[in-house]
Amino acid sequence: MSGAHGRPAVERGRGFEIVLIAVYALFALSATARSVTQILRDLMAAPVAYSLSLLAAVTYIAVALALIRHGRRSSLARALCLVELAGVLVVGTLTVLDPQLFPDATVWSVYGQGYGYVPLLLPLVALAYMALAGRRAERPEERAR
Amino acid sequence: MTVLSIAVTLIGGLTALAGLYYALRDLSADLVLLGLCALLVLGWMALGIALGVEDLAGGGPPDRVTLYGYLATALAMCLGGGWAGVFERSRWGSVVIAVVALVSLVLLMRLHQIWPGGFA
Repeated sequence: MSGAHGRPAVERGRGFEIVLIAVYALFALSATARSVTQILRDLMAAPVAYSLSLLAAVTYIAVALALIRHGRRSSLARALCLVELAGVLVVGTLTVLDPQLFPDATVWSVYGQGYGYVPLLLPLVALAYMALAGRRAERPEERAR
Repeated sequence: MTVLSIAVTLIGGLTALAGLYYALRDLSADLVLLGLCALLVLGWMALGIALGVEDLAGGGPPDRVTLYGYLATALAMCLGGGWAGVFERSRWGSVVIAVVALVSLVLLMRLHQIWPGGFA
């Protein structure tokens, strides 16, 4: 390994960011697999639910890529996390108010109940972490956390 | 099959505990933790092969795509967790390994629901 020779700070150690990336990548993988099999099998069984599953999958992929490429201080990652949070809240509320619209579950059904509510917590944790990282950005001796 | 299933559960639980211990002690993943992660990968491989053989022998699972999708996800996830542990030289690399090991346990539980006959 070449160590710290002229590498940007993000390359030396990502800190907590690596955990976020891992969890987002995992959700990207499982949500994509789930929605693609659902859509290929029978899209018409629950068109709204399956389309929203695909939307969730795309959002997770986008956040994971934004974090990998641009790190915790990128405004793109922050904006995508806000989209994700809005998605979880809107879809979660819709599944509670109008269950008929969702004959089959999505990742975001009832605020991510099927996934231990991690889909609801994940954007909140990510946004809080990004806000803290942005505030600490000015200090030169920042230890990645 | 039951033996392999128990083995994966034990390795997964041990890896998760070790990962959390490393994280609490502010340690990055060393060869012990990475070795446990590698053992978990081997466990998943063995379980996948065993389930595949059982499938070929007849009386396959009700939902093949989901079964092999879960197995592939578990394998990719453990490999990715080990990779993060190798390259992230801080406590957070250990946390990633712990997370991957915990999710392994959940996936294994779901596998038992997807194909109860495979573990009989």
